[in-house]
Amino acid sequence: MTARSVQAQETRELVEMSWDPITRIIGNLGIYTKIDFKNREVVECKSTSSLFRGYSVFMKGKDPRDSHFITSRICGICGDNHAVCSIYAQNMAYRIKPPPLADWIMNLGEAAEYMFDHTLFQDNLVFVDYCEQMVKETNPSLLRRAETTQAPRGDVHGYRTIADIMRAFNPFVGDMYREALQVSRVTREMCCLMEGRHVHPSTLYPGGVGTVATPQLFTDYLVRLIRVLDFVKKAVPMNDDVFDFFYEALPGYEEVGRRRVMLGCWGAFQDPAVVDYDYRHMDEWGRAMFVTPGIVLDGELRTTNLVDINLGIRILLGSSFYDDWVSEERFVERDPLGNPVDQRHPWNQTTLPKPQKRDLDGGNYSWVMSPRWFDDRTGDHLALDTGGGPLARLWTTALAGLVDTGPVRATGRSVEINLPKSAAFPEMRLEWQVPRWANTIERNRARMYFVAYAAAIAFHFVEQALTEVRAGRTKVFTDFDVPEEAIGCGFHEAVRGVLSHHMVIRDGKIANYHPYPPTPWNASPRDVYGTPGPYEDAVQGMHIFEENGPENFKGIDIMRTVRSFDPCLPCGVHMYLGDGKVLRQVHSPTLGMSAGG
Amino acid sequence: MARKKRTEPIVTGRRQVRPDAPAHVKGVREGNATGNYEGQQGHLPDGRSTAARSTGINAADRDAIDPDMPNLSPA
Repeated sequence: MTARSVQAQETRELVEMSWDPITRIIGNLGIYTKIDFKNREVVECKSTSSLFRGYSVFMKGKDPRDSHFITSRICGICGDNHAVCSIYAQNMAYRIKPPPLADWIMNLGEAAEYMFDHTLFQDNLVFVDYCEQMVKETNPSLLRRAETTQAPRGDVHGYRTIADIMRAFNPFVGDMYREALQVSRVTREMCCLMEGRHVHPSTLYPGGVGTVATPQLFTDYLVRLIRVLDFVKKAVPMNDDVFDFFYEALPGYEEVGRRRVMLGCWGAFQDPAVVDYDYRHMDEWGRAMFVTPGIVLDGELRTTNLVDINLGIRILLGSSFYDDWVSEERFVERDPLGNPVDQRHPWNQTTLPKPQKRDLDGGNYSWVMSPRWFDDRTGDHLALDTGGGPLARLWTTALAGLVDTGPVRATGRSVEINLPKSAAFPEMRLEWQVPRWANTIERNRARMYFVAYAAAIAFHFVEQALTEVRAGRTKVFTDFDVPEEAIGCGFHEAVRGVLSHHMVIRDGKIANYHPYPPTPWNASPRDVYGTPGPYEDAVQGMHIFEENGPENFKGIDIMRTVRSFDPCLPCGVHMYLGDGKVLRQVHSPTLGMSAGG
Repeated sequence: MARKKRTEPIVTGRRQVRPDAPAHVKGVREGNATGNYEGQQGHLPDGRSTAARSTGINAADRDAIDPDMPNLSPA
């Protein structure tokens, strides 16, 4: 729904425009902006979510062994990321380490998930914003130029001009759009082979997996992986051509969606040779992950230590529909290393929902809280974003320079990705370079590179898993007893970015459980210090490149920016009301409020 | 000799807990409990396995023919 009203503010004429819900994302997100059309600038932006889930409320009292099955249902597209993250937290709480083969199998399942989800989102949802039909409607002069611009990497992907590539991305009819659907099916099958089911795995458990590791299993995975390579080798240069063209044809486009480089990545793919899921060694096994965890601040790597990352997490309020939990119980005073744990840390959080009417003028306006990372050097509560996931993952991995397997190598300023021969292409080396900006284009560009990264590293995992099988080490599960009292935390990367699960067990039951997926970080509203969340920050102050005036304004630059973060606020409805007329505005309060709310 | 007639197809003992009781109730067997691995057929203490994990019929005949080969039983 697009809504609009005009108001004169100071000397500028601001038009209020809102998109609620935003379509082609997962979930229920509203973006409310004030636009100065004369100066072509977005002056203010607020992001809201009208959806309350309450997992942290109803997890209490449940059997901790059920937590990965339950939290998997948080999401209908990356549920397996939640399951895996919950399993990491449980492994820590039960003080167990699964056999190496189990970790390789989980890594393989997760690599397939990244390939699936990124392909589906990039080519079937994001690229609709860059396809021929859309560009024709929003920037006709850009399309005219694209028709005559040669695609620099045309010899690889086979499309002569940029406009040809844009046509390949037209929804339902474009070649790439349709091929991506096939690829997302095959990669989903790969996930099912390892995790039993997609998107809610049935063979992943704390302590290991139920997948029976036979040579056939890995062969089935491998043939599909090699099929996908042809697509990846074509898609990455196509993406590069289109995004480079945007920079070239629209000078200043690098400012669209640009924000200070404040990226967080919580790491993915455990190395079974190092990981023991013990909090006291989390620093060491965190750094051994095949996607390095870390925080990048202004282009510098601030930390790669998961213990620092964990202790710095703060959940702030300020514009959210909750009561504060300062006077509530403190579950964890100190972590297992003896460091104090803040009351605003997820281990100590108590969710106290307070439904109320949305107030965009200085009041509360979202169900999303404001997760921040406390930088003890400056005392700032940083509104980290995930760059849609891949940007932060590649950036931290590149700068840390720790990952060095055959297929993937981090150099300190780039990530080299080596893809083996496939049916249509010879061996190919791709290199993702650390970009100059964290902006809309770079978030989208990193996504397809990360598909290549996941595909390449999956070859390493298959090799390692088969080494175990060939040695006859087929054990995939370890026994455990649920302790009466324990705490655990899991750090992982959901497809769209950082994911953490924090759990407290008392009397053998869950006493406190807080999952923090990427979208609370990205879609957070203004916090108690007035710091805007990443969507708001990225859109605010943005220059408008769309050629349409206020009458038929589509907000394409704003949409591209918001979608570049891969928003995921399960789960939304799709509707569009033509030229922006408000048909009826209804406020429906939830959770026991009377209808008059 | 005529067989004794059974009223139930499978004889079971008296139940100790209600079927819908949560699994963390004391006394309920847990599949994940320590010691269960050792009790499973065909799973060796060193993490390897034999054909006995896949079949109960002449399992030893399905093991690897050469002791140096990995013992990879079907799923």
